[in-house]
Amino acid sequence: MITTIASQQSQLLRRQHVTLVGLATMLAVTAMAGILGWSSHHTIVRVFDEAVRLQAAAGQPAPANPFLLKPNLSLLSNMVVYIPLIGSLLALVVGHLALVEDQGQATGRLLFTRQVTRSQYVLGKILACTRFLAVTMAACALVSVAALVVVNRALSASDVGRLAGFYVLSWAYLTVFALVGMLTALLARRRSLALLSAMGVWLVITFVVPQFTSGLRPTQSLNPLTEPVGTSQAFFRATQRAQPLSIVEQYKTVSGTILGTAPNPTTGDTLLAIVPIVSAAILLTLLVLWKVQHHDYARSVTDE
Amino acid sequence: MSEPVIELRGLQHRYDTDLVLRDVDLKIARGEIFGFLGHNGAGKTTAMNILTTLLTPTGGTATICGYDVVTDRRHVTRQIGYLPADVRMYGHLTAAENLEFLAKLSGVTDARTAARETLDYLGCADLAKRRVGTFSTGMRQRIGIAQAIVHRPQVLFLDEPTSGLDPMGVRQLRETVQQLNRDLGMTVFMNTHQLSEVSKVCTTIGVLNHGELIYNDSIEATLRRFPDEASLEDIYVRVGELAP
Repeated sequence: MITTIASQQSQLLRRQHVTLVGLATMLAVTAMAGILGWSSHHTIVRVFDEAVRLQAAAGQPAPANPFLLKPNLSLLSNMVVYIPLIGSLLALVVGHLALVEDQGQATGRLLFTRQVTRSQYVLGKILACTRFLAVTMAACALVSVAALVVVNRALSASDVGRLAGFYVLSWAYLTVFALVGMLTALLARRRSLALLSAMGVWLVITFVVPQFTSGLRPTQSLNPLTEPVGTSQAFFRATQRAQPLSIVEQYKTVSGTILGTAPNPTTGDTLLAIVPIVSAAILLTLLVLWKVQHHDYARSVTDE
Repeated sequence: MSEPVIELRGLQHRYDTDLVLRDVDLKIARGEIFGFLGHNGAGKTTAMNILTTLLTPTGGTATICGYDVVTDRRHVTRQIGYLPADVRMYGHLTAAENLEFLAKLSGVTDARTAARETLDYLGCADLAKRRVGTFSTGMRQRIGIAQAIVHRPQVLFLDEPTSGLDPMGVRQLRETVQQLNRDLGMTVFMNTHQLSEVSKVCTTIGVLNHGELIYNDSIEATLRRFPDEASLEDIYVRVGELAP
C-alpha cells in the first residue's frame, strides 16, 4: 500500500509538472553555482597573478598563490546558500501538494473507505516526496561533478565522496521542509492558508531563527574569527547556545566542513551539527503521522 | 428478514455538544436498495460517514456484513463501496488511472483489468483515457460509481447521488443502481432528497428527523400504510408530522 501511494503521488507530481519545473530549477541553480564559483576563483587567481607580475617587475619576491590551494569543492560554495533558499521552497511545495489535494478535492474520503490505513497513506506520501528530492539531489550531484571536471580537469575519490555526502545532507535538510509542507497542509482548514503557513515557517527557519542565534553575534562578519568578542555578555552567550536550534546554521556548518570552506572544522562538531537536522526530520514525521490519524477526512478543506 | 447486511444499534454521534444521531436502530437486509431520507442536517451524511469508517461514533455500534465499523475496519472496507456527494478524483490522472489506483488500495490484485472491466460494465470505456479534470458532472458521477464498485463490494453507499445531475443523468444513475443490485447482488444504501427517485428505485426507506429514525419500512408497506397520500412526498411530510 505504501508503494502504491508513493507511485501515485510521483505520477501526480509529474502530471502537475512539479517534477520537471523543480528538477530544471535545481539543475539551473547548480550550474549557476558552478559557473559563479569558477568565475570568482578565476578572477581572484588572475588578480593575484597580475600582482605577482607587477611585484616581479619591481624586483620583489612574490609568495605562491594561496588561492590555488583551495579545495576543489569550494567552487560549489554557493550551493550552501541556494539549497536553503530555493531548494527548501521547492520541498515545501512538494510536501504541501502531497497532502492538500486529498483534502481540497475530498479524495481522502475515497482513500480511507478502502484497505489503506492512514499511517500507510502518509508514509507513502513521505516516500514519494523524499524520492523526488533524492532524484533531484542526485541530478544536482551529476551536474556538480560535470562542472568540477570541466573546471579542475579531474576529481579525486575523496572529492566524489564529499560531494555525495553534501547532497545526502542536503536531501535530509530538504526532507525537513517537505514535512513542514505536509504538516501545515494537515493543520490548516483552508488550502491557501496551508501554503501561507508553510511559507511562514520557512521564513522563520531560514531567516528569523538564524538572526536570533549566530546572526546576533556582532563579530560574525569578521571571519575567520570563530569566537565572538561579545561572548562575555549573557545575552550573546544565550543566543550562541541556542545555535543548535537553527537548522540552517547547522546545515551551513556541516556543508562548510564537507566542501572545505569552513575555517577550522572538527569531526565532533560536524557530527553534532547533523543531529538537529535529523531530529527535526524525525520529530516532523511523528507529528505528521499523529495528525493524519486525527484528521477529519469527512470534511474537505476549502479555498474560500 | 434475512440476515441483515447493515445493522445499527443505538448509534449516536455528537459534534461537541450537538447530538446529531440519537440512538438509531436499523437493520437492512441483503439485496435491499435502502433510501435514507431526511431534511438537511438530519444526520444522514454523519450516519454514512460512520458506516464507511470515516467517522468514529460517540455511542452505539454499527456493523457491515457482521463486522464492526470501528474495531473491524479492515474487513468492513473490503465489503463496501462509497460514492460521496460531489465526488471528485485526481483531475490530472485519467479515469483508468484513477480506477486502477483505487482498486489497488482496495486490495485488488489485477487492478488494471478490474478498472477496464468496470468501465466496460458501466458503458464508459470511452472515458478511460481522458483526464478526470476535464469531465462534466455527469461523467464524474459515472466514474464515481465505477470507483465505488471496482473491487466488487457487497454494500454500496451513495451520498446524494443525483445532486447536480440533469434528468438524463438521473435516469442513467437509477438504471445503474438497479443493474448493480440485480446483476451483482449489491445492497445499496442511498442518502437522498429526491423522493421521486426513491419511489422508483428503492425497496425500503428510513426517515431521519433531527438525528432520530422516525420511520423504517418497505416501500410496499409504506404505500399500504398511507393509502390516502398521493405520493411519497406526501407520505414523507405525513411521517414528519407524526414524529414526536
